Amino acid sequence: MIRDFARHLFPRAVLQRDLTLSYTFCLGGLAFTSFLVLVATGMLLLFYYQPTPAAAYPSILLLESSVTGGKYLRSLHRLASHFFLVLIVLHTLRVILTGAYAKPRELNWLTGCALLMLAVFEGYTGYLLPMDQLALWATQTGMELVNTLPFGGAMRTVLVPDGVGEPMSLLRFYVLHILVVPGMVLLLSSLHFYRIRKNKGVLPYL
Amino acid sequence: MKRGYVKSSPHFFRPVKISMLLLVAALAGLAWLIPAPLQEQADIARVPNPVKSAWFLLWIQELVSYSKYLIYLVLALTPLFLFLPWLHTGTPAAKASWFLREQRLVAIVALALGAAVLALTVVAMFLRGPNWQLVAPF
Repeated sequence: MIRDFARHLFPRAVLQRDLTLSYTFCLGGLAFTSFLVLVATGMLLLFYYQPTPAAAYPSILLLESSVTGGKYLRSLHRLASHFFLVLIVLHTLRVILTGAYAKPRELNWLTGCALLMLAVFEGYTGYLLPMDQLALWATQTGMELVNTLPFGGAMRTVLVPDGVGEPMSLLRFYVLHILVVPGMVLLLSSLHFYRIRKNKGVLPYL
Repeated sequence: MKRGYVKSSPHFFRPVKISMLLLVAALAGLAWLIPAPLQEQADIARVPNPVKSAWFLLWIQELVSYSKYLIYLVLALTPLFLFLPWLHTGTPAAKASWFLREQRLVAIVALALGAAVLALTVVAMFLRGPNWQLVAPF
């Protein structure tokens, strides 16, 4: 079933001269691979993580000390998140430097930009969840940066109604991190892949 | 099959599968070597010095440390970034190529901005100490 889906997602035939690794370096595909690793490891982390200020940190301690492979799983999730961001940025740079953003690919450029912003937001919401000092103060500083934006105060109120690391804000970050943002990333990625096919090709100008 | 074309399976799918497997293997290996950090439990009463944002936002933190109004520079550049396809003029190139002559300005600006973001991130990550003062990295 997966093989059939992949075959329909991509064209049946491609220009041989365009199967050159240096055109794309597979950066977009690798970013999506990182996302799949994040989904897989994140789903396993959900079995132990508790999204309340009192229980979040102890649940991470339990995961790392008493669950076989728990510490490794968290390390893999964190590392994959770094790769996800870096690969999306490099992919965006590649698209600019090869001119692949130009018409008729403008819709895919916009979905790509949205995916880049969602990736940053996904990283930001995930940063708070361990509820250690690093998480709390990195998120707090991020909120101060949001405050410098026009309408930043309103955005802060929506994201953090009761203070960074308090029950409501932790719950909102949790729901955004595990459901809303990954769901949007998956939807937009599907649209992104579809538009590549629709624009008649896999590689630039194919 | 038209001349110059090959079937996607296996000619295109194979390198895609190999690159995906290599990345997963690299992540799996590196995760053993680089454990995720975990500090003491969060305490709003204990403020670290310096306070740093997540690594991917450090460049903005460094930028606004010079002047909070510099955030408007980021906000001004965002629409230019979003509407890049509509700013592009000229006929599309016939085939894929890096650093096309007719898009040289866009490439230079993109590389300059990328380098600036990278430089600001490095300064904030390694050269900022207590009270956001510049310090030696080692």
